[in-house]
Amino acid sequence: MTHLQGSSSSLKRKRQDLAIVSESLTDAERVLYNLIHSKKDMGIWTGDMKRETNLPDSIVKKCLKLLQSKNLIKDVVNIQNKGRKHYMAAEFEPSKEITGGDWYNQGRLDTEFINLVKDVCLKYIFRQKVATRDGVLEWSRKSGVFRVEVTTQQIDEILRALVLDDDIVEVKSTGFGDFSSVPVGRICYICKSKGGIRGEQKSGAMASIPCGVCPRINSCTPDGIISPRTCVYYQKWLDF
Amino acid sequence: MVQQYGIKFALHLINKHFGNVVSKVCENLFRRGLLTLDQLIQYTQLTKDQVKNSLLVLIQHNCVQPFLLDDDDVNNLKVRTQYLALFDNIVHRLRFPKFLETVLLRLDEECVDILDGLLRDGRLTLKQMVDRASQGKENTVTTKVVRESLCKLLTARFVERCPAREPVVSTSFKETTIRKRGVKSAKIFETPKTLEQRVLEAAMPGDAIRFSLTADTVLNVDGEKKSDDVQMNSVEENVVEEEQILWRANFEEFIRHLRHKVLIENVRSQHDDGTATVLSAVLEATKTVEKNVKMENSVPLSLDTITTEVMKTDTGRALTIDRIKASLSQLGCSSSSVVDDLYSIDLKKIIEQARNEDVESIVLKRYGNDAYRMFRLLSKGSSFLDTDKIAACTLVESKKALKFLTQLWNDNYLHMETVPVVTGRRSSDIFWWKVNQPLLWINVLDEMYHAALNLSIKMADEQKKNEEVLNVPKHKLKEPGPLQKEYKRLLNVWLLLGSSLMKLDDALMLFHDF
Repeated sequence: MTHLQGSSSSLKRKRQDLAIVSESLTDAERVLYNLIHSKKDMGIWTGDMKRETNLPDSIVKKCLKLLQSKNLIKDVVNIQNKGRKHYMAAEFEPSKEITGGDWYNQGRLDTEFINLVKDVCLKYIFRQKVATRDGVLEWSRKSGVFRVEVTTQQIDEILRALVLDDDIVEVKSTGFGDFSSVPVGRICYICKSKGGIRGEQKSGAMASIPCGVCPRINSCTPDGIISPRTCVYYQKWLDF
Repeated sequence: MVQQYGIKFALHLINKHFGNVVSKVCENLFRRGLLTLDQLIQYTQLTKDQVKNSLLVLIQHNCVQPFLLDDDDVNNLKVRTQYLALFDNIVHRLRFPKFLETVLLRLDEECVDILDGLLRDGRLTLKQMVDRASQGKENTVTTKVVRESLCKLLTARFVERCPAREPVVSTSFKETTIRKRGVKSAKIFETPKTLEQRVLEAAMPGDAIRFSLTADTVLNVDGEKKSDDVQMNSVEENVVEEEQILWRANFEEFIRHLRHKVLIENVRSQHDDGTATVLSAVLEATKTVEKNVKMENSVPLSLDTITTEVMKTDTGRALTIDRIKASLSQLGCSSSSVVDDLYSIDLKKIIEQARNEDVESIVLKRYGNDAYRMFRLLSKGSSFLDTDKIAACTLVESKKALKFLTQLWNDNYLHMETVPVVTGRRSSDIFWWKVNQPLLWINVLDEMYHAALNLSIKMADEQKKNEEVLNVPKHKLKEPGPLQKEYKRLLNVWLLLGSSLMKLDDALMLFHDF
């Protein structure tokens, strides 16, 4: 829950004085540090470091350990290659390409945070009956529910996800009725779910029967090993 | 083109209603296409009598249409009747209760009785209807009473005259050309009709004859009115001729009615009652002039006509012209789409939306929320998207996204293309994904037929397993005990399976008939 605890991307450290740094480093450390520093918020993988500096593996490892202990560099998780050791100068914050974006935390998608923002936005839209993106954004900032400031892009992404979840519908204001407070033609959102609760179950005819949700339907035949007569899902469904 | 489980389901229905032998004949017609009697005997390995009787049963119940193929070969003096299995009519047998309910709501009990007879027996003459109506009654039902009910059914187009026995169909087709307004000599090619469509068209009499009770419109073999002979007939001869006309249920009208019902209910749930009322009025006013059931757009009407039709209804009287206009706008009739002051509603869009919702609900239940979001993203767009883009737009981790997308692709819900990408010394594949709607719907429909077949098999299985309980006298079932408990369980099972099949049938119609 680091997004709610304030370790946001808006906080940046001051740059350290390079002159002070260079005095306490060996040649190898300096070469490595300068290389890492030059990659700024993209950082660099250890494999690429070895290739670019031609330093032996043991030296690189030793230097990285020392640089880290001096708090000059830090290791970060690269979402593109989680298994690789990736380093960055301490004063930089990892770019979105490295972290995966606003919704990622330590290389993992923060689904808990995403669901929280979704719930909060949906409840607001349900209460308002009709809401614009700007309205949702303003409210999310004023409400104090989130400790970090949610960006416009994040709200856009959440609204798109809610539309795709079929919890809200994107419409254009007609200016009448519930839309009277929204200028005609402006994009706004209305709640599809009746109680403002996410994930209300909607079932078509096929989805209401065992075959509709069966992962083995393509292997099922009338007289085969998997058949309606032997099907365990059917037995469970008809277990009155 | 019907997929494999559609055919299996149709054959299951034939087997259930008419037995193995008839089912075998029908199966060969499905698998091998049009066949003559001799060919059927050869392929089924049944006796001539068995095949003949099977064909008679299938024709009686409107499941097969015989016809003569005119190949313009003057040397081919031996004209052979060929037989065409009618897939749609066979599957309609599943929805006879819905047809009966329609007539009960729109007409009356007497009409329901006549329709019931037509559905059970396939086709009946007026005399047979009268005999049937009189069975088990102290006083015979008069022909006049039955005739009146038949007239009501004909006026509503729920019953029709049986088609010509063996219509002649030509093997050649003509390219249809239509001149487009404002374009010089532009020719638009229309998809040629399938042989099945041409056979059914050739068999069908014109509307004036098809829904007419009067005997002076009896057809000769060529489908022409015997108008010169009519005036010479006496009244008695006319009555005799009238009583010999064969009638059957007009499935087309029932399907049209059910389609309209689905359109109206979908609009009601998507918009509001007022908009549903407007659509209902438009469809009611134009149903007799619709060229076919699967009309993409409603028959164009002026605002005045629409307003008049809406105000005829109980719920429509409360609507103002502005409200009606707003409803038409909600139905997609914006001022830019109105041509010559005529409003036409996009019915195809409503049907497609309903289909999409059904497919999406399957994806949600089968694959979960993340896959549901990704599928909807691809469904709404028409172009390919790569895995990373899909993951970013739907807030799903890339690896997870790839897993779900691959599952959907394996089950034929998505189309996938790979594009090799070379970065430095390494090459890798980028996966691009898309929903191919027409193919997807064919696949989903076949899964639905598969599910319908499974439900039917399960029902038959439960009946067979519990035959003893079903045969126990009713008074014994009233006593509390394990027998009563078992009977109640069986009733619940039967109710669940039966209602699920009827609900699934609505989806079959949505994807195949609407």
